[in-house]
Amino acid sequence: MAAKTIKVEIKRQSGPDGAATVEKFEIPYRPNMNITSLLGEIACDPVTVEGKATTPITYDSNCLEEICGSCAMLINGKAKMACSALVDKLNGDGSGTITLAPLSKFPVVRDLSVDRSVLFQNLKAVKAWVPIDGTYDLGSGPRQFPQLQEELYPLSNCISCTICMEVCPQFNDSTNFVGAATIAQVKLFNNNPTGAVLKAERLRALAGDGGVQECGFAQNCVEACPKQLPLTEAISDVSRDVMFQQVKDFFVR
Amino acid sequence: MATVAPPVPSSSSTIRGVQPLRAGQGNSFLWRKLHSLSGIVPIGAFLVEHILSNFEAIHGPLAYAQQVKFLNSLPLVRVLEWAFIFIPLAFHAGYGVFIAFRGRSNVNVYPWAGNWMYISQRVTGLIAFVYIIQHVWRQRFAGVSLPDHPGAAFAKVQHELANPWMLAIYVIAMVATTWHFAYGIWLFAAKWGITPGEQARKKFGYVCAAIGIALCVMGLWGMWAFVGPQYQNAPADVLPAQSSRLVLPAPTDLMQRAMASERTGNAK
Repeated sequence: MAAKTIKVEIKRQSGPDGAATVEKFEIPYRPNMNITSLLGEIACDPVTVEGKATTPITYDSNCLEEICGSCAMLINGKAKMACSALVDKLNGDGSGTITLAPLSKFPVVRDLSVDRSVLFQNLKAVKAWVPIDGTYDLGSGPRQFPQLQEELYPLSNCISCTICMEVCPQFNDSTNFVGAATIAQVKLFNNNPTGAVLKAERLRALAGDGGVQECGFAQNCVEACPKQLPLTEAISDVSRDVMFQQVKDFFVR
Repeated sequence: MATVAPPVPSSSSTIRGVQPLRAGQGNSFLWRKLHSLSGIVPIGAFLVEHILSNFEAIHGPLAYAQQVKFLNSLPLVRVLEWAFIFIPLAFHAGYGVFIAFRGRSNVNVYPWAGNWMYISQRVTGLIAFVYIIQHVWRQRFAGVSLPDHPGAAFAKVQHELANPWMLAIYVIAMVATTWHFAYGIWLFAAKWGITPGEQARKKFGYVCAAIGIALCVMGLWGMWAFVGPQYQNAPADVLPAQSSRLVLPAPTDLMQRAMASERTGNAK
C-alpha cells in the first residue's frame, strides 16, 4: 500500500510581469500540518509530481499564529490565512487536491507573495494613528472607560491581512474602494480619546473617491475576517459619521 | 557584515492594481448618497403610492378611474411628475447601472447570504430598469392619454395584461421591484448608520421583508383585478374626458328651464 500523501496544486509566477503557471506537488502525509508547514515541506525538496526539479515556493509568512497577517492567500479558491488553514480540515479524506494561489486583487511579487501596500497607503491617507509624537513628554493619556475599551479592543485586533479587501466585490480597480480594514481603523482611532483630535480629517478623507460610500454591504468582509472584527458595524458607524461631517462642513465651513 | 541594498519600495504614485483612497477628492460621495436617498424618497414613496393606487382596481373600473382622476387632479401634477418621479428615477436608474457594472460579484466563490443579496440587488435593479422603460412608454406616453381620459385606465391596463407574455413580464417585474425596494430600505438603514448593530440589522431585516412581501402581494392582487374573471371586457372609458382648461359645465335641460322661468319672471 502506497504511503498517504497530500496533493497540492500551486499557481506560480516568477515575477510581477511573468506568466502564471501551475505546478503540482505530492508530499508525504503528516498529521496536523498547516499550509505554511506544507510549503516548508515543499521547500525541503522542491520537485514537482512529474519529477522536475523546481524552485521553492515564495510566500509571505512570519508569526505562524495568525497575528502578523502576512500569509493570506487563496486556499482552495478562498482567501484564508495559510498559518491557520489546517491540511487535515481542508483535505477531508485525503483524496482531494489542495490548490494554492496568490490573492487575486493585489499585484503579484512572486508566486504566492503579493504587494499589499495599498492598505498601508490607505491607512496613511486616513491618519490611522494616535498623534503623540512631539519634542517633549506629553504625560499619560486620558483615561478610557472600560466600556469604551471593550468596544474598541476587537477593532484593534486587525492584522492587516487584506482578506476583507480580497473578498469584497466592491474592492477592485474600477471603484478603487478603500476596503473594510481602513474604515474599521478609522472607527478605532476616532473613538480613542487622544486619537479623536484627527476625527474630522479622517472623516473628510473617507468621503473622497473610493471612500466609505463605495461599500455595497455584501458583508463578505465580516464573514471572511480571520480575527472576527465587527467590520460591518464599523462601516455603518463610520458611514454615519462621514455623512454628519459632510453636512456640517456644507453648512458651517 | 554583508551590505545588501534594500529593495526599492514601490513608490506610492506607481502602485499597481487597486489604487489607494483619494482622500477628500471627487464628488462620488455626494452622488452615491443621492442615489441611496433617492431610492427611498421620492422613488420608494412613489412605488408605495403606485401599488396602493393600483390596488383600487380590485373595486372595479370606476373606482380605478376615480383614483387616476384624483392623482391627475393634484396641483401642479405635471411638475410633480417630472420633479418627483421622472428625473429622480432616471438618475437612480442611470447611476445604479453605473454602480452595478463597477462591482465584481464573487458569489460563486463566497456563497454567503449577504453576498447573494448584493448580486440580487443589482439583478433586480436591472430588471426594474428595463421593465420601467417599456412600462412608462407604453402606459404613460403611448396609446390613449390617461390624464385626459382617466376613465380609460382600466381598459388600457386590461388590454396590456391580456397578452400572457406581458403578464409574465409584469409579475416578474413586480417581484423584482418590490424586492429591490425592500432590500433597498434595509441597505439604506445599514449604510447610513441607522442600524449599525448586528441585532438591529437582523430585526430590521424582518421589517423590510414584511414590507416587501406586503407590497408584492398587494401589487399582484391589484393585477389580478385586470386578468381575473370579475371585470372582464371592461368598457373603453367609464368617465367623461378631462380637460386641463377651465370649462363651464354644459347647460342641462333643468338649468335651461330654470333660467327661462327666471327670465319670464323678470318680464312680469
